[in-house]
Amino acid sequence: MLQQLIADTANGLQQISQHELPLLQQPADWQTKYRLLMQLGKKLPALPEKMRQPEYLVRGCESRAWLLHYQDPVTGKHFFVLDSEARIVKGLLAIMLCFVNGKTSAELTDVELSRHFDALNLRPYLSQSRGNGLNLMLQRIQTVTSA
Amino acid sequence: MAAFNPLEFRQHFPFFQSQPDWIYLDNAATTHKPQQVIAAELAFYQQANSNVHRGAHQLSQQATALYEDARETVKSFLNARYREEIIFTSGTTAAFNQLAFGLMHSLLKPGDRILISTLEHHANIVPWQLHCLTQGVILDVVPLDSQLMPDLEAYQALLTLKPKVVSLTQVSNALGHVLPLQKMLSAAKAAGAITIVDGAQGIAWQVPDLQQYPADFYCFSGHKLYGPTGIGVLYGKTALLEQLKPLLGGGEMISEVSFQQSSFAALPARLEAGTPNIAGAIGLATAIRFLRQFDAKLINQYKGKLLQQFADGLAAIPGLRSLTQVTQSAGILSLQLLNEHPNDLAVLLNEQKIAVRAGSHCAMPLFASLQLPGAVRFAFAPYNLPTEVEKTLEALQAATDILR
Repeated sequence: MLQQLIADTANGLQQISQHELPLLQQPADWQTKYRLLMQLGKKLPALPEKMRQPEYLVRGCESRAWLLHYQDPVTGKHFFVLDSEARIVKGLLAIMLCFVNGKTSAELTDVELSRHFDALNLRPYLSQSRGNGLNLMLQRIQTVTSA
Repeated sequence: MAAFNPLEFRQHFPFFQSQPDWIYLDNAATTHKPQQVIAAELAFYQQANSNVHRGAHQLSQQATALYEDARETVKSFLNARYREEIIFTSGTTAAFNQLAFGLMHSLLKPGDRILISTLEHHANIVPWQLHCLTQGVILDVVPLDSQLMPDLEAYQALLTLKPKVVSLTQVSNALGHVLPLQKMLSAAKAAGAITIVDGAQGIAWQVPDLQQYPADFYCFSGHKLYGPTGIGVLYGKTALLEQLKPLLGGGEMISEVSFQQSSFAALPARLEAGTPNIAGAIGLATAIRFLRQFDAKLINQYKGKLLQQFADGLAAIPGLRSLTQVTQSAGILSLQLLNEHPNDLAVLLNEQKIAVRAGSHCAMPLFASLQLPGAVRFAFAPYNLPTEVEKTLEALQAATDILR
């Protein structure tokens, strides 16, 4: 089950990187931007209810999200599965995952998420941490990958 | 008094000149402050700043007079009998923490019961829970009826368990519903309970006449009544306030201290440890005087009109469901977009500069009982305008178009 979710997530993230991220960099009205964010959230699999366990929960101020983590014992690469109750948040979290999924611990220390979000004109969402829980998710990713 | 003029009312609030692009409908979280209130706080610090009740100098006596005048203003606003019944706190939450601590360590004994409703804010839940386990006190909860109001039959049944304390909100912060407190509190008094009212949302809807009101305690915050943040009021009947064990010690609340024991000062100082929020109290009194220039009935009628306009407009937007019964509401409407999380709707409203609150509104047990992740709350104040309601409806239409 987890292996399938990881594979589906990796696949979805690859599609997002190829198709949606370049689109996000283009100028567009706010409606288009949000439609895109919600579309790309849909490319990640939904976490089945029974896997929405408290140990995976990342509680934002307004909505809940879940993060599952797996490190390949051979390659040392980190893989994630995530879901959120809120669609826009899920889209933003999916973008975050694009830059961290499948990376080793050493590679992760070099990831500058704020730079990537700047390039996508999404920087304001990183600072609205309490509302959407993006920074909480980032902390969780750092915690589970440094363990 | 003349008819209520919202444009004239709005002109008293400098915020709207600074932020002309925003539509502010988060008034249940905090209201804006009229120029008079801002000026009063500033004037205190610029012209009269001194500590109260202790200085040998005249400046301190003047500051004390201003602070005690503020207490007098609150007393007359609520029509309390004695000035000693008005305790300044930092807000409703602080008042509830004092009440829970004070009652748990004086009048309540193991096995006693406290009765609250499903509509309570966390501030009327958690302070009790902090002590329930250690003190062996039981917390009972009145369930909701199908209209999302307290189930009065269940309430009567729970009263037969003889709760020592019945603590209810005047207005639900999450839904806006006005509770039938006159009836509920009278029944609680008849059952021999101490009655407490959370007036945080209610104070801006209906100011109680405390000599007629069946409440032993009443709490509210200044900042939801056009006053500053960090100031609130705990009103209590003198005989009960005198029995409350102080939550905070030190400062002006003592009469004599030795290393063996201390004796406490008389009310209200007994429950006001430390230097109080002097400027805040003066600001609150100014807000009250500001508000008293207007006819409260006309203000409520106007808020009702805005709410009705909003509710009528919502009916034309598919998928939206109001959790609030508009006729029962104190100017608040909470809604849900079918199958969508409230956060998505709130993000898209924020993008259009509509300030609302989404989530469970510090009332998680309420939303758990409704089996909903939360709602989006629109809370109107008399400075809101019909044109703002129209724009909000347009913004909601645009947001739902994106989500569908």
